[in-house]
Amino acid sequence: MTEAFILIPVVLPVVAGLILEIMRKLNKKIMNISVAAVLAIEAVLVFINIGKIGTEVKLFELTANLPIYFKVDNLGIMFALLMVIIWLLAGIFSFEYMKHEDNERRYQGFYLMVLGVLIGLDFAGNLVTFYMFYEMMTLTAFPLVIHTGKKEATMAGLKYLYYSLGGAYFALFGFYFVFKYADSLTFTAGGVGINAAGHETLLLVCALFMIIGFGVKAGMFPLHAWLTSAHPVAPAPASAVLSGIIVKTGILGTIRVIYYIFGTEFIRGTFVQTVWMSLALLTVLMGSTMAFKEKLLKKRLAYSTVSQISYIMFGLSLLNENAFEGSLLHVLMHGFTKCGLFLAAGAIIYKTGKTKVDELRGIGKEMPIVIWCFTLLSITLIGIPPTGGLVSKWYLCMGALKSGIAVFDILGPVILIVSALLTAGYLLPITIQGFFPGDDYDYTKLENKEPAKTMTIPLIILTAGAIGVGLFSTPIISYIETILATF
Amino acid sequence: MNTHLLGFILIPIIMAFVVYAIGRKSKEIRNVMAVATTLAVFLASFYFFAGFFFGKMSPFELRLPDICGLKFHLMMDGFRALYITIASFMWLVCTAFAVEYNRIYHNRNRYYLFILWTLGATMGVFLSADLGTTFIFFEMASLTSYVWVAQQESKEALRAAETYLAVAVIGGLVMLMGLLMLNNITGTLEIDELRGVCEGLMGDKKLLAAGMCIFWGFAAKAGAFPVHIWLPKAHPVAPAPASALLSGMLTKVGVFGVLVVSSQIFFGDATWGKFVLIVGTITMFLGAFLAVLSTDMKRTLACSSVSQIGFILIGVSMQCLLGEENALAVRGTLLYMVNHSLFKLVLFLVAGVVFMNLHKLDFNIIKGFGRNKKILKYIYLCAALGIAGVPFFSGYVSKTLVHEAMVEYMNLSPASYNPGIKLVEWLFLISGGMTLAYMTKLYVVVFVEKNADEALQAKYDGMKPYMNMGNRILLAFSATIFVVLGVLPNWLFDRVADMGQSFMGLTEFEETVHYFSWENLQGSLTSIIFGVCIYFGVVRSVLRKKDGTYINPWPAKLDLEDSFYRPLLKVVAIILEIFSKIFDKLVDWTVILLRKSLLKESPIPFELTEGNALTYKVGSLLDGLKAMFTGEEEKYEGSFKHRLAMMYEKADEMSVIVTRSLSFGLIFFCLGLVFTIVYMLWFR
Repeated sequence: MTEAFILIPVVLPVVAGLILEIMRKLNKKIMNISVAAVLAIEAVLVFINIGKIGTEVKLFELTANLPIYFKVDNLGIMFALLMVIIWLLAGIFSFEYMKHEDNERRYQGFYLMVLGVLIGLDFAGNLVTFYMFYEMMTLTAFPLVIHTGKKEATMAGLKYLYYSLGGAYFALFGFYFVFKYADSLTFTAGGVGINAAGHETLLLVCALFMIIGFGVKAGMFPLHAWLTSAHPVAPAPASAVLSGIIVKTGILGTIRVIYYIFGTEFIRGTFVQTVWMSLALLTVLMGSTMAFKEKLLKKRLAYSTVSQISYIMFGLSLLNENAFEGSLLHVLMHGFTKCGLFLAAGAIIYKTGKTKVDELRGIGKEMPIVIWCFTLLSITLIGIPPTGGLVSKWYLCMGALKSGIAVFDILGPVILIVSALLTAGYLLPITIQGFFPGDDYDYTKLENKEPAKTMTIPLIILTAGAIGVGLFSTPIISYIETILATF
Repeated sequence: MNTHLLGFILIPIIMAFVVYAIGRKSKEIRNVMAVATTLAVFLASFYFFAGFFFGKMSPFELRLPDICGLKFHLMMDGFRALYITIASFMWLVCTAFAVEYNRIYHNRNRYYLFILWTLGATMGVFLSADLGTTFIFFEMASLTSYVWVAQQESKEALRAAETYLAVAVIGGLVMLMGLLMLNNITGTLEIDELRGVCEGLMGDKKLLAAGMCIFWGFAAKAGAFPVHIWLPKAHPVAPAPASALLSGMLTKVGVFGVLVVSSQIFFGDATWGKFVLIVGTITMFLGAFLAVLSTDMKRTLACSSVSQIGFILIGVSMQCLLGEENALAVRGTLLYMVNHSLFKLVLFLVAGVVFMNLHKLDFNIIKGFGRNKKILKYIYLCAALGIAGVPFFSGYVSKTLVHEAMVEYMNLSPASYNPGIKLVEWLFLISGGMTLAYMTKLYVVVFVEKNADEALQAKYDGMKPYMNMGNRILLAFSATIFVVLGVLPNWLFDRVADMGQSFMGLTEFEETVHYFSWENLQGSLTSIIFGVCIYFGVVRSVLRKKDGTYINPWPAKLDLEDSFYRPLLKVVAIILEIFSKIFDKLVDWTVILLRKSLLKESPIPFELTEGNALTYKVGSLLDGLKAMFTGEEEKYEGSFKHRLAMMYEKADEMSVIVTRSLSFGLIFFCLGLVFTIVYMLWFR
């Protein structure tokens, strides 16, 4: 049973989280140190799992042919690595940040549990297991959303829950039919082989439903509205992981369903692909525009997530290699960037209490490190070289152009580029008024508001990561090519 | 490996951090370090320049692993050596000049940081051998130079910087689109390979679209009409050394790209050549026209830059149109670029001297500043006469070459003779005249006329020292170059052209141009005559009032940016917003609508004493209707609510009776049936 060791990273944080929930009297310092330790060990364990690619574990069978089954593959490892790294950094950031919130223990407990569930999601080897963890994640992340306990947060939390469950049922609908017509539900690169003869339309509708269903988590139109309500009300480190990581599970779900169950050939050239592409592009444009008009910083970032995740969705919908590479690069790039941006927003809120964009005049003079990171992350998100955003955008656009799908091969890149322009429009003004407050700015009132090192260091690492993904994208691209090679 | 090429890019970028760190401790050491860095870069560039100038070196390249998924490919050849030398020379002069000049500003550390970053990025652009690499450094240069414009942080400065940034970002993204399309069509972005690949694709619509995107991306930086809007706004508010670099060097970064597009991708494509020719002509004429009208020293120079870029674009278009015979055009364009860089360096720094002392640039205030300042007069005159293309100054050489190329094009194709080209030639000469006119206007204002306010004039005359010795020598030296180059064109300029021309695909040029032959002088003299006429006919009589104040009759409303681009962007944003809002709220609104209508919570929270919900609702509705028509409310007993409920109950009772009687009937029927069956079975 040595194979079962791959499940330690799934079990460890869940157990640690549960223990944390039970321990009534716990010194804050000890709690923080142990949370950090768990996160660090978790990261190491996932790194160790790199060496165990291909290992599979069958725990038990729900009914005949429905095993709970895990397998470590290249794709899963990639997502898992991103998750543990970001979870660790946002976790360290939260120690200082959560000082001004109540119920730190509850927060940290659920924070750990979600991570365990997420790792389980990454290593899930078939659709049943995946679906189980997917639902579990929805529920365990719920306390993070409603943490502040304000009415606004609770309402947003309920909205999150309704949308997520609704989306999951969409997926479930498809799941039943896939179960009926597919040979198995084990994720197989290139598709499991579906006996579609005679039921093509039905199964295509199922595929579309599953895309829309997983698209809920990924914030894809039409069921994206929960995202912009739920992300801004959570505490900043929670928003960071919600926006940077949890939305990516929708992406993972879509990849698993389309690339590992149905197979790309099944939906290539069908109405499903067209609808998918249209929805993704619509979301890209809509998200950016709404972010451009939004006045609250965190909400602006949430809208930005809506748009950015649909970049990935668009890349996946094109069903070709370049676009797939672009999508996965964008997963990494956006994970680092959006997490960093939310943490920077959190640092601003923590230190100054300012939540509106207009209030941030001269902020760069007060907290230079934070705003420098914010600026570099913004540049990354816009996709200005030499940062990571350009690489993923380059591959996505190349994929679109090469796909040769009428209209979309030009429309796609144009919309992505217009959206990049809007991204510049909603992020750069913050930097500009932060660093260039105008010649009538009163420098005598200036005070240093740079937050503690536990806040700035994760931010700096995230910034370096975001830029590093761009500068040294070659090894990452060749890694993604190994995933592609299995299809 | 020629990794030392990377030094040109990395050393300034790394030194920027060092200089910034030092600046927090000591300002003096920082200034020295900044100048030393630029000097080092200049000397290194000059080494390569000399190598190629004397033919001792041959081109070499450096390929590195991809960055950002784009090829990282640098190259050193004659053209690149020439241009990095000029760039680093300008940076050296401007950094040295800034030591004295920048005392008037806050946040100087920031200024040095970004000046050095941009130097690294600019070097990267000029050394790049792959459009992907060019793009990376081009964007870096665009963004880092934003800080130069915003440096003052005054309202105008921030607004101009906003414009600059918008043009830079939009231009960059449009270019990205173009590069993507080009890469998709040709499969390569290598500058040296493009000509070969694109030759077979002549007339391809997709290639044209890609080329257009790339062209406008670069043209926005170069300042071509109608995307020149940032120049006249940004230059007056930026610190003078930064303006000099913006105008002299960053516009050339744009021209570099335009050159690649025109002389590699669309080499010999007549349609493309005509397109560039039209853009160039409008830019040239419009810029010169605005410069004549302007009453602000730096704005004049900025408009002049726009106009000069137009001249260069005409040269570029001639390269395209002349195809294999484009030797004159290639050499003319190249020298024009070199000249313009150096002229604008000197001219903007002269403006810097004025601003440094007076903090003003308005003609009516600075008038008379330079009356007794001989060295400044000399410096200005050398550059002004040079840019106006007066014989024996360096500008004359390049202008003559471009003009000759136009004449050659007209002679070359008499069959397809187009009257339009004659018009372009006349506009070329008139714009040359206008250049002379606005330069004279500036000269007369600053160095000849007396200020209307005598006390101010006395103060101006008594200003000493108005610039320090180092800057005097630096500027005077730079200005003297123009005379040397102008007097001995065959000795220096021809060799510079020889070393740079291969970049545009020209390998050999045997003939010797007799610059001072009568034919060549004619064009220049025509221009000068135009200039004199414009100066006396327009500037003195229309733009200058009787009392000596200058006016700008150009209506402020006629501003492309304020009355077209900004409103356009606003309208687009509003349309996008409405569109997005609808989609964003679609589901939320649907949910709300459903909850307000079909899924509404029951409006009758109490138990009904009589009837059911349907009778209650219909009854209420009828009651309401009746009340509306009759105007009085019925008592409960008479209301529809009650009557309907009664009817319902009656019907209910009825149905009970009916069902019961029916069931009785059924029971008896069944019993009867049973008896029948028993009887049949039993008594058979």
